[in-house]
Amino acid sequence: MANRKKSARRQRLEAAIVYPLDWLEERSGLIGGVRYFLFRKVPADTNWMQTLGSATLTAFIVQAVTGVILAMYYKPDPNSAYQSIQHITNDVWFGWLVRGMHRWGASVFIILMFFHMARVFLFGAYKYPRELNWIVGVMLLALGMLEGFTGYLLPWDQTAYWATVVGININGTAPFLGPFLAQFLRGGAEIGPDTLARFYSIHMLLLPGAIAGLIGLHLYLVVRLGVTSPPWSKEAAGSERIEPPKKGRRGLLQPGARGGLPR
Amino acid sequence: MSRALDERRAQFQRYKEDVKERGKPFYPYAMFHDTVMSLVVVSVIVGLAIVWKYTSMLGPLYAPKADPGTTNFVPRPDWYFYFLFYLLRIFKWPNSVILGTIGIPTILLMIMIALPFLDLRRERRLLRRPVAVVAAILTALSMGVLTYKGATAKESLASEVVSAVPTWAKREGFSGNPQAVAGAKLFAQSGCTACHTYLGTGSSNLGAPDLTAIGKGNQGAKFFSDYVANPRAFGNKVMPVFGNLGSAQNIRNIGVFLSVSKGPK
Repeated sequence: MANRKKSARRQRLEAAIVYPLDWLEERSGLIGGVRYFLFRKVPADTNWMQTLGSATLTAFIVQAVTGVILAMYYKPDPNSAYQSIQHITNDVWFGWLVRGMHRWGASVFIILMFFHMARVFLFGAYKYPRELNWIVGVMLLALGMLEGFTGYLLPWDQTAYWATVVGININGTAPFLGPFLAQFLRGGAEIGPDTLARFYSIHMLLLPGAIAGLIGLHLYLVVRLGVTSPPWSKEAAGSERIEPPKKGRRGLLQPGARGGLPR
Repeated sequence: MSRALDERRAQFQRYKEDVKERGKPFYPYAMFHDTVMSLVVVSVIVGLAIVWKYTSMLGPLYAPKADPGTTNFVPRPDWYFYFLFYLLRIFKWPNSVILGTIGIPTILLMIMIALPFLDLRRERRLLRRPVAVVAAILTALSMGVLTYKGATAKESLASEVVSAVPTWAKREGFSGNPQAVAGAKLFAQSGCTACHTYLGTGSSNLGAPDLTAIGKGNQGAKFFSDYVANPRAFGNKVMPVFGNLGSAQNIRNIGVFLSVSKGPK
């Protein structure tokens, strides 16, 4: 190696590439973070079923990107919503594709969430210490379904309108909170302009923001706690007896503890 | 309890050491799988969009514009809500409907959130977790069956229902009452049969009552007009508010139609 000296030109080139990365790393530590994320170890026997989570994330990104494009053309007002959907579908360049991807990406997103959840359940990956991440996942599922519900009204066609009428009335049957919830969703006594604007705002600001934040937390916990290996082998499933360490328990509340989890 | 927790901690400690020693780096190994899978996902989504645009297999691009007044409506959620929607057919209005609308979904959500605290064993092998496996299979099966039933539940379109009006008039014996016949037509066109059944026509998808003999109690046309105009006033919070259905005459006709519907003669 030593005899193959790099040319001065090449050295300058490498320095030019590395310099901005170094600059960023020195000031933010982000490069180190990305390196940690990419080169962290995962169990050697992870398999294809464990790609369902990232597949769900991909579907969400598709929804986000196509959603942003649709928002450039869509008009959340009962007088023009339906026309703007027709305009997107028939006139806008590749508008039908963007709308089609958003429409069907929603189904794919929801299917993948359920499949991902089934995989986590069957692998027992919700067990200690990943309980919190399971709960975050359940919240993501619920918010994802709400995205489906609020997005369904936006085309303002007959199916959309009447499904939402019944859906809101179903919310209204809940004890105590129901009538308030229904009133809030409608933005009044009847479904009208306020309802549509409200659903649009919830659909494209509130819920996606919450989902993106929770996905961040979800991924942070995955990286922090590591990927579960499939439960096929006795060793991997960790079912044999384990002698707990003789020393006292570790935990945040114990004196002298460094952190909640053994590292 | 504390011993179980110590065991779990020790096990996780060992998992960390195992992965450190024998694991493989996320990039490129796992990331390769993730990338392939993501490409498949995007391709499937694009494929569905293309099939939707160029064939009729996935349904129309849009239904007619929303019309709060009349015409045929088919209150159908997107397919992934069918399993919840079908619950409304099992738990009928009005006594147990709350179980189907709010009760069961809330209970399921609670169980899902509580799951990691209900199942505290370390065991992850499927064969040693019979309860979990059976629960998973039953959940998947019931969701599948409910979705299928929701998808195939019979619904009639207003255009088909309207053609049944003369038969209704004859069987219920109100052919000579023009107000009732007009009300029956309106009843058929306004999508009432999307939730209600009348002489076997319509859908009981949402658990709304059969109206074939609704007028038997002699409540009178005014009562029914008021009820349809604003079910809230009668404590019914599921049925949509219909107002006057376009005109004061319309809502009167509906009331007359329902009040003379005393079952087939």
